Amino acid sequence: MATSTSEYQHDEPSSPALAPWERFSRWLHCVCIVVFDLELGQAIEDVYPAEAELSTSEKRNICYLSFPDSNSAAMGDTQFHFRIRSDRRLELDSSEVLVDRDSPAVLKPDIAHYYGFVYFRQEKDSTSKRGYMQKSVVLLSRLPYVKFFSVISKTVAEGYFEHGMVSIESSCHDIDQWRLPIPGRTLQLPISGKVLQIRIPSKKDKPGAVSSPEVYGQAIPAVTIVSSVQDVDSFSCLQPVLPHLNVLWELVLVGEPIVVMASTPDICATTVQALINMIKPLKYASDFRPYFTIHDNEFKEYTTKTQAPPSIILGVTNPYFAKTLQHWPHVLVVDSCSNPGLSSTIKRTKNLKGLTTLDTTPGLYTKYLPTMKEDKFIIRRLLKQVPPGTRPQEAQNAMLTRHFLEQTQSFIIPLERYITTLMPLQKNISPWKSAPNLKPFDVEEFIRSLNKAGPQLTSDIKGNWQTLYRKFFKSPNFDGWLRSRQAEILEALQLRQIEMMGAADITAYIKGKAEVEIVDLILRLKDKLVNIKCNNSNVSISEVTRHRLTEHLIFVVSILPPDLQGILKNI
Amino acid sequence: MATAGPYNYSYIFKYIIIGDMGVGKSCLLHQFTEKKFMSDCPHTIGVEFGTRIIEVAGQKIKLQIWDTAGQERFRAVTRSYYRGAAGALMAYDITRRSTYNHLSSWLTDARNLTNPNTVIVLIGNKCDLDSQRDVTYEEAKQFADENGLLYLEASAKTGENVEEAFLDTAKKIYQNIQDGSLDLNAAESGVQHKPTNSRGTTTITTDQPVNESKCAC
Repeated sequence: MATSTSEYQHDEPSSPALAPWERFSRWLHCVCIVVFDLELGQAIEDVYPAEAELSTSEKRNICYLSFPDSNSAAMGDTQFHFRIRSDRRLELDSSEVLVDRDSPAVLKPDIAHYYGFVYFRQEKDSTSKRGYMQKSVVLLSRLPYVKFFSVISKTVAEGYFEHGMVSIESSCHDIDQWRLPIPGRTLQLPISGKVLQIRIPSKKDKPGAVSSPEVYGQAIPAVTIVSSVQDVDSFSCLQPVLPHLNVLWELVLVGEPIVVMASTPDICATTVQALINMIKPLKYASDFRPYFTIHDNEFKEYTTKTQAPPSIILGVTNPYFAKTLQHWPHVLVVDSCSNPGLSSTIKRTKNLKGLTTLDTTPGLYTKYLPTMKEDKFIIRRLLKQVPPGTRPQEAQNAMLTRHFLEQTQSFIIPLERYITTLMPLQKNISPWKSAPNLKPFDVEEFIRSLNKAGPQLTSDIKGNWQTLYRKFFKSPNFDGWLRSRQAEILEALQLRQIEMMGAADITAYIKGKAEVEIVDLILRLKDKLVNIKCNNSNVSISEVTRHRLTEHLIFVVSILPPDLQGILKNI
Repeated sequence: MATAGPYNYSYIFKYIIIGDMGVGKSCLLHQFTEKKFMSDCPHTIGVEFGTRIIEVAGQKIKLQIWDTAGQERFRAVTRSYYRGAAGALMAYDITRRSTYNHLSSWLTDARNLTNPNTVIVLIGNKCDLDSQRDVTYEEAKQFADENGLLYLEASAKTGENVEEAFLDTAKKIYQNIQDGSLDLNAAESGVQHKPTNSRGTTTITTDQPVNESKCAC
């Protein structure tokens, strides 16, 4: 294998071999087989590995979300995904913290939710009273690798429908051999006799860089390259509403409540994902449910009319929602049967009253007054194909993804520039005091900076950027972005402070200090060293600094009275 | 903030927790610093440290808490921990009279090994086990009053009064500083200059008087 050894360093931090299921659990929580039983309704038939914990409410949710919501006589297979709250929050261990740190915000493991990747099959079965069998294979994971897991879920499910549980067992065993999903790695992952190759994106990647894996010197013949972990077929989903792409981008960016209505779960799930992906590299910070049903645990919470709709995105297929969510400000109706190529004729409806069934024409139903003008250029580029319809879907998707990535980047650059002005000066960092905090984010000061350094410099779209920023500042997306940037910067400052502490003259510092203070210094030094050792802190410290801190510690203990030296050495 | 980094503080108060084995000293400390109950806590050997920054009258104070071993065989060793303590938390178990009966011996140590201004607090721990009570509130209260101690009943398990025990002690110490009864050797910077002076002092300001970079780690 042409992998560098440095890639391995975080794989097995302390023990050479990981415990059984430990690798597996980094990728998946479990695989569930869900059936539609004539007597019981939806029921979980099997869970693998059997010891995987699922609460009663999680199980209930999985059961309902693993089947299409509305009855359909269509035979065959459907694939989609859902997202549910998990009752147990994921606690990251030290090597997961590392994965988390280098992961782009949008690809971090979701500590409070599970993603369910469903492969649903409906086929004729003369032995069943109903005349057909309905069954789903569901992969549960904390990782939002939507595209990747749709490939895995297909493979696992097809194996199951052919060979039964033994195939699940063997697939899970394969997954338990996989290398960990460390950002920046290109992995070759064997599953059911195939090998998938995928590159896990890293935060350090250049924005917009194609993250498809490089092919190793000698590619194994059977290797299948999965080009992206998360990108979905955005173009197909959004095609019916092409003229409104910019409005959609704005709605997602400022965290407006959106409901996506489609006739099937695969379309609504993909569309929700496509919307979230529009604001990459920003992470959509509110809740979103690619596929949501009336049985969902949060149904009441999210559809109540007594409060304004929450800042979330829901994907639904049940016509019942057209009525329940009538009060929602933004309804996006998409469908596969809509006529492609006629996009320009779609009008934005400003009146929601007519919306009572899902037979509604695809379109965006909203009263929202966009801050930015539509970008005719990208729409024209997407539609201009000679001869029409000849450009491959992948190219259309890439064009769309790239366009919004650039647009979002243009929006973020001024924010990034401003936040660097909030950093403390180097001279204000003291080796003996904790790193100073960032200055608070001042909205007005930021707005004033826009004239000179606003997004108009890098983006062609016209409109009122100031208003857009003000809307954004009220959204959870801004909070999420600010919190993660502050944490990253603070981490860097802490690292700097620890390095300075290591390099500082400790003899001069402790001169004249009282015993209580010296003990305090010892506790602080120990705390830093323990954190470094356990990797609890996200700060990565050089060997030199660690060595210096240890020497400081030994020295400081040595100047204490003998009776204290003994005990302080051992704590 | 994502990282629970240390904050700035103006004072460090040294506390010791003393009392018989098994009265819940480490659990009181853990409840105070982690806000959690440790159900199977190992015996403390020597000393364990806990720290937490609190605020009294707008001042940030770092508590440096020395949690001592309660076992009799460590008694000689633990005596050296009392030095320079600003507060002593003396705990007994309300369901075991023997732990209460030994208080006078703990109090003697505390009086002899600390300075006269050290604030001593009596804590009747495990007050959640009221049905197994072996020492009444009134009896202990009287003992506390006779000896000039602050007194509370607390439960490290439920957290009841734990916060209060640590905070009331700090308030009392701070009050002593304010009214001058506690000699800080109040120099310009408020920092003790000679380590030898720490024998008689309990409080130390670590920072320069409020200036632009007042974080201490």
